[in-house]
Amino acid sequence: MPRIHLGDWVDSGVNWLVDHLSWLFDAVKAVVEGMYNGIDAVLSAPEPLLMAGILAVIAWWLRGLVAGVLAFAGFALVDSLDLWDRAMSTLALVLVATVIALVISLPLGIWAARSRAVSAAVRPVLDLLQTMPSMVLLIPAMLFFGLGTAAGVVATLIFALAPGVRMTELGIRQVDAELVEAAEAFGTTPRDILWRVQLPLALPTIMAGVNQVIMLGLSMVVIAGMVGTGGLGGAVNEAIGQLDIGYGFEAGVGIVVLAIYLDRITGALGTQLSPLGRRAAAKAPTRAWTYRPRPAVAVVGVVVLALVAGGMGVFGSSTGTSEASGTNVGKGKEIKIGYIPWDEGVASTFLWKEILEERGFKVTTTQYAAGPLYTGLATGQIDFETDSWLPTTHAEYWKKYGKQLDDLGSWFGPTSLELSVPSYVKDVNSLADLKDHASEFGGKIVGIEPSAGEMGLLKSKVLKEYGLQDSYEVIDGSTPAMLAELKRAYAKKEPVVVTLWSPHWAYNDYDLKKLKDPEGAWGKGDGVHTLARKGFTGDNPQVGRWLKDFSMTEKQLTGLEAQIQKAGKGKEQDAVRTWLRTNPGLVDKWAPVAKEDARSRAAG
Amino acid sequence: MQPRLETEHLFKVFGRRPDEAVRRLRQGADREELRADGITAAVIDASFRVEAGEIFVVMGLSGSGKSTLLRMLNGLLESTAGSVRFDGQDLTELTARELRELRSKKISMVFQHFALFPHRSVRDNAAYGLAVQGVPRAERERRADEALALCGLAGWEDSWPDELSGGMQQRVGLARALATDADLLLMDESFSALDPLIRRDMQDQLLELQKTLKKTIVFITHDLNEAMRLGDRIAVMRDGRIVQTGTAEDILLRPANDYVASFIQDVDRARVLTAAAVMDTDVRGDEADCGCETASPDTPFTELCAISARLTHPVAVLGEGRALVGVVPRRRLVGFLGDEQGEPTACDDNGDKGGEKVIARA
Repeated sequence: MPRIHLGDWVDSGVNWLVDHLSWLFDAVKAVVEGMYNGIDAVLSAPEPLLMAGILAVIAWWLRGLVAGVLAFAGFALVDSLDLWDRAMSTLALVLVATVIALVISLPLGIWAARSRAVSAAVRPVLDLLQTMPSMVLLIPAMLFFGLGTAAGVVATLIFALAPGVRMTELGIRQVDAELVEAAEAFGTTPRDILWRVQLPLALPTIMAGVNQVIMLGLSMVVIAGMVGTGGLGGAVNEAIGQLDIGYGFEAGVGIVVLAIYLDRITGALGTQLSPLGRRAAAKAPTRAWTYRPRPAVAVVGVVVLALVAGGMGVFGSSTGTSEASGTNVGKGKEIKIGYIPWDEGVASTFLWKEILEERGFKVTTTQYAAGPLYTGLATGQIDFETDSWLPTTHAEYWKKYGKQLDDLGSWFGPTSLELSVPSYVKDVNSLADLKDHASEFGGKIVGIEPSAGEMGLLKSKVLKEYGLQDSYEVIDGSTPAMLAELKRAYAKKEPVVVTLWSPHWAYNDYDLKKLKDPEGAWGKGDGVHTLARKGFTGDNPQVGRWLKDFSMTEKQLTGLEAQIQKAGKGKEQDAVRTWLRTNPGLVDKWAPVAKEDARSRAAG
Repeated sequence: MQPRLETEHLFKVFGRRPDEAVRRLRQGADREELRADGITAAVIDASFRVEAGEIFVVMGLSGSGKSTLLRMLNGLLESTAGSVRFDGQDLTELTARELRELRSKKISMVFQHFALFPHRSVRDNAAYGLAVQGVPRAERERRADEALALCGLAGWEDSWPDELSGGMQQRVGLARALATDADLLLMDESFSALDPLIRRDMQDQLLELQKTLKKTIVFITHDLNEAMRLGDRIAVMRDGRIVQTGTAEDILLRPANDYVASFIQDVDRARVLTAAAVMDTDVRGDEADCGCETASPDTPFTELCAISARLTHPVAVLGEGRALVGVVPRRRLVGFLGDEQGEPTACDDNGDKGGEKVIARA
């Protein structure tokens, strides 16, 4: 069979689009982000409990008292989990994606219902959109729209589009042909047939489609979190990245609350909008728990709560403004740091966030997977990141994006890559020993993300060097999965061989043996490099200098990592502050300001 | 006077290259022949005229093309060839917009399965045609309520279609068609889905309404009894062609071919025939002079039998001005009942054979 270079064509197609249609993508991005920011601002403006109240009144109006009370309880729970802002930004993301998906899918569904040709043409496209693994769509979306909300919304809505189109088409096609004929026989125009007969009768089916759009949108939110949309999806990703089961569960509960709320509300909305549904609802006997206020009452309730919320916003506490001082180098200039949720990355990122904020910069930190991080850096979405393992581990990324990046040098090293086994596994001390113990390990090496540089090196070089390629299989997975497997095996004292690297906190938590590498197959250790987008050091010469001169000792790094591990999720920066207090003088060492400024600071 | 509705050599062919199919049909090709080529000839060379105020029934079994024919009369289906003229206007020449205009104001339709809009109340259903025309709400509701009252549904305006029985639903369908004041009413098997008693009621009601409204109605049915009951004139369709057009008596007494004849076998003649249809017009002139009971030309057949039973001689039929127009001998009555006309033949052994035969056939 000749090799069809489909992938290459797609690659060059995507590149061409990026080069030639950037104006279009920028316009889409502006619209999407505008919508998102607007909705998010409205949703997160009131006090959480007031907003919960507003959402509860809507539920009460549409479904009854019990639904209202449960909605309030659910949102209060989200608030008490400290996830309110994240939940609201997720809600805003889903709403924007849903609105755009409906704006596209309803007309498309109607068109498909009226034309067999359109229907036949649309169907395979929908199949493609719905079944193509979402990460595959996410990367081009990121190239087109950059990191953040727009890429997340677009990926979400592409995924959620299909049921909207399908259910609209189905609903319209299901309308009794005799009714359509009757409408025609009375001289109804095609447009009126659609509005007076087909859409009202198709409405329950269409609303089921809307419901599906929202649900699929929510399920996509977690994946969209990987490109820095934040929200609950971001929280889940962070939790997964750090194997923080409790936090992941909390964020998951937040998503579930949103999902149930949106599902029930859209279901009830379908009943309310469809004339037949309204009649059925009116026939059902009213009880206290199904009592629903009249729309006017509900509107008044929402408005009153909204006014209270607005009032509190006006009289609420205003945030203090930072005072100008000699150390205020940044003067509020924005810097975006991206990071991969690896411990040394988290530690150094929040360390620099703290340092730069002390120097007057406005710093935002966003978590990404490795691929998106490099893409974001290369396209200028991110200013710098501190966790590139060069020259070996991240060689692939450097090869692809190096021309668009500035290497600000290594701040820690050397690192090492290795296969490790628990120390209770006797007789296996070197990679060379693995061959004879294959059955003991079940012929499996627990790997991490297949995209990781270490995995490439392991499969292409290390296994061959020690003749392991026939006796061992490398399990592709993820770092959290690898750590979970290690934890499970370690607890049961089962033999296991895992892909690890140093520094890693696993060496503190478990008693592990790094397998020796007498042949030097892993190569020399990497340095942990700081990479900046092209032009960053030109824009911020002083920060560039600081980053170039930055270095940490192993003691400093592990100390900081331990502090962060102890402080727990969401308190990374507090941990950095605590650690800096116990290690005074480091800020001035790593980010020195001119003498007179320092003196004026001391005087002030 | 020009007829309200007239069709000339109307064809409807479904499938590829319909024009060629029409040419072949004109040259005498068979319907089955075309079907082998994947072409369905639904209506073949249909020509008829419907006068204003007339109920014209198109009768045929399913698949005979009668519903297709009906849908060409209001332009829901475009004819393949031929013309449909409504008040002298050829529908095939109208644009889509003009056709819609015509359908909304002049021609309305009643459907077999009622086709009421489930998401509209009874009143809104009846007012649908007016809403399409853009009649203001107050007026269309008034006119809808009037039409509903006419159909015996006063008081049900705020109900919903699914709360009504089948008969009542079809009354709503009728009211919807009447509310627009259309001149032409197309009724597509409108009573077929109702059970027999309700169907009788609806037929009676339609005839009652027709006495005052004088609409022009084209009524489709597969039920010959219904056709005989309602139709001023009847067209019998078979395999896409109209095989006979005429009054109920024409069809009953003078079937055009074996198909029609076999069709009318099961018809309850007693309900259709009148004295005028069965009388012998060859009279001497003195049959009514005895002063016995007589009949008029529109005396129903059953009553005629009753009179005949009380007399020893043929019943005299008196027309306008009590002039003698015909006589009905008893033997003739028995013959009509048994679908046997003409003179009896003498038998050789005993005289009961003819009687036996009549009993057997009746």
